[in-house]
Amino acid sequence: MNYDTEENLSELEWMGYEVGYRIVERLTREWVRFKDELDMIKFICTDYWSSLYHKQIDNLKTNHHGTYVLQDNEFRLLKHLANHNSNNNNKQYLRECPLLIAFTCGLLRGSLSNLGIVSIIKAEITLIPTCKFHVEVLRV
Amino acid sequence: MTIHNLYIFSKNGVLLYYNEWNRLNKSGITKEEEAKLMYGMLFSIKSFVNKISPLDPKEGFLYYKTSKYSLHYFETPSGLKFVLNTDTASQNVRELLQQLYRQVYVEYVVKNPFCKLNEPIQSELFKSKVDELMKKSPIFLNRSL
Repeated sequence: MNYDTEENLSELEWMGYEVGYRIVERLTREWVRFKDELDMIKFICTDYWSSLYHKQIDNLKTNHHGTYVLQDNEFRLLKHLANHNSNNNNKQYLRECPLLIAFTCGLLRGSLSNLGIVSIIKAEITLIPTCKFHVEVLRV
Repeated sequence: MTIHNLYIFSKNGVLLYYNEWNRLNKSGITKEEEAKLMYGMLFSIKSFVNKISPLDPKEGFLYYKTSKYSLHYFETPSGLKFVLNTDTASQNVRELLQQLYRQVYVEYVVKNPFCKLNEPIQSELFKSKVDELMKKSPIFLNRSL
């Protein structure tokens, strides 16, 4: 598998960004304005995630200084690759995972950007299908 | 009741997956040879059944039975073939094969972008799910033969 070059990943991420930027427009149609940043992140964890991946984010952590960690314990794009119950097969497709995650990272970045948050998104997978998205808000 | 072994063939006759649970008699040839032999036989039976049928064959070949075991055959519209050998008393094997297709093959091979179709299945998750499904089926009864 030699698709996961930097170029391909950033292209996927960029496509995600475009989609995310547009999709958040649709999903927030019925919403009143968000109070603050945390409110927006909460929206991302609940309604937004349910409409895209049919479940909510399982765990949200923040340091209240612009860093958020969103953890999905059974990420929809990974759950057919391996599961928690079998000890030996969690590592099988670990190397290919960046390809599946890049789009979602872009999706988050695009959505937040349309809500007015400039951010850097990093994903971390240690045990498939658990996935952690690190959101780092950039303040100018 | 017991389950002996399982073959999954692709549309083109590639052996995608093989596993055995209670198999006492070895064929004495390599797995690849055996798979070719098996596929060839199924291919012939299928065309034989369709040609010789006095009525509209509809589903065609379903299973055959010897004095010792039954071979159950399930083919999907896409040409994927599931072959399961059980003892002669087993019932509802067809249902089990359909389950295997719908709940295991589609979920863990088709929905896994890194599983190439038409190539032997490598996914460990798929293998463990097959084993799990077979072992929890009422047909699977690990009886010492």
